[in-house]
Amino acid sequence: MATEPQDGRLVELEGVRKSFGPHVVLDSIDLSIRRGEAVVVAGPSGSGKSTLLRCINGLEAIDAGDIRFEGQSIPKAGKGIYRLRAEMGMVFQSFNLFPHKTVLDNVTLGPIEVKGLSRLDAQTRARALLERVGIPEKADAVPADLSGGQQQRVAIARALAMEPKLMLFDEPTSALDPEMIREVLDVMRDLARDGMTMIVVTHEMGFAREVCDRLLFIDAGAIVEDAPPEEFFRGAKSERAREFVDKIIHH
Amino acid sequence: MSVLLDVLRRHFPEFLSGFFVTFRVVAISLAIAISVGTLVGALRVAPLRALRWIGTTYVEAFRNVPLLVLIFISFLGLRRAGIGIGPWVAGTASLGLYTAAYVAEAIRSGVFAVGKGQIDASLSLGLTYRRTMTKIILPQAARTVIPPLGNLLIAMIKNSAIIGASILALPDLLKQARILQARTFQTNETFFWAAAGYLVLTLSATFVVRRLERRLAIRR
Repeated sequence: MATEPQDGRLVELEGVRKSFGPHVVLDSIDLSIRRGEAVVVAGPSGSGKSTLLRCINGLEAIDAGDIRFEGQSIPKAGKGIYRLRAEMGMVFQSFNLFPHKTVLDNVTLGPIEVKGLSRLDAQTRARALLERVGIPEKADAVPADLSGGQQQRVAIARALAMEPKLMLFDEPTSALDPEMIREVLDVMRDLARDGMTMIVVTHEMGFAREVCDRLLFIDAGAIVEDAPPEEFFRGAKSERAREFVDKIIHH
Repeated sequence: MSVLLDVLRRHFPEFLSGFFVTFRVVAISLAIAISVGTLVGALRVAPLRALRWIGTTYVEAFRNVPLLVLIFISFLGLRRAGIGIGPWVAGTASLGLYTAAYVAEAIRSGVFAVGKGQIDASLSLGLTYRRTMTKIILPQAARTVIPPLGNLLIAMIKNSAIIGASILALPDLLKQARILQARTFQTNETFFWAAAGYLVLTLSATFVVRRLERRLAIRR
């Protein structure tokens, strides 16, 4: 068992660098996130926000630096990476539900395959989660029958079924019609209120202002702001972030 | 018209036996093509470069040699090299391994057609790479690949006639028709019924593939 830092830090990044070819996507990122914190990551597209999330659960391998989860470094490969991923949930912009499986099978897959739950236990858990995200009646539907908002809520339930300690949201509402954004954000807000640690990449600044504890602003692979949302909106320190706020608020 | 039916009635046993030889050739070759093709297709998308190289070599070797040449090599060439195999083995192996190269390519494209997001989603739940393949990617790829596999099956049924026409001389549908033609000189009639026999096989294949496709289709 790895020893957890005393101050409740769940995720720590230290000098994390990541490039795709000559293009530096993350440039020596230092960051730590405490248990129960809801952190929103904002920034222009291509600034490395998604890559940051993908590095935290090992979907992308980092080039340099260290990422620790509960005090334990994220391994580059091998069994350890699979075990760590099972402790973090991830929600994608394009939902990525499994189209050949029913909603219920989507939500039970992880617990059955990875945690070894019985089908019955997994289904009980799945139905409770579908209730929680507000679509218990869709258990036997296939993803193609659902609206985008419903698919994303199923995707959240699928991630929660693994009882993760950390939830990563990668632009969860960017592919949604405006009227469906609300229903997904509501689910996420409830999650944050229930104390789930979460990192949310989003352009929804209303959500950031209302829900998150900290707002990170990333530009060109570096964290240029790290502040409570009110402080960020009132007076960001960097020029780049002020421009961003201007555009968002006066668009 | 009556001559046509007359030929079929008089020589029905010969036609039928030829039909079943062709059917058996196709069935055995199909089993070889699907099993070898899936294996080679898996090699083509393997994470290890050496495995991918083996797969590519197989595909290029068997796709770029004419089927008739494969038959000559397997039947005559191997015999000269001291490995004597019978016409059944030579014929079905040639046809099966030849078609397997195409099956492999179809499966490879099916795997690529499954979005990368599916791999991400599966890995993010904590599934291993191997389980992601068997539980998420291959089941979807197999469904995508059914129509092109149907095309390959039809091509294979027709290619099987090469076995009957070649030095292997298996008494398949075409070979039986040629024997009857030489005996009766009723050229158009005998080959008409041979063609009809192939049509029965290809249309049945089309029917089965369509049903499979409908049963397994993924709605998106």
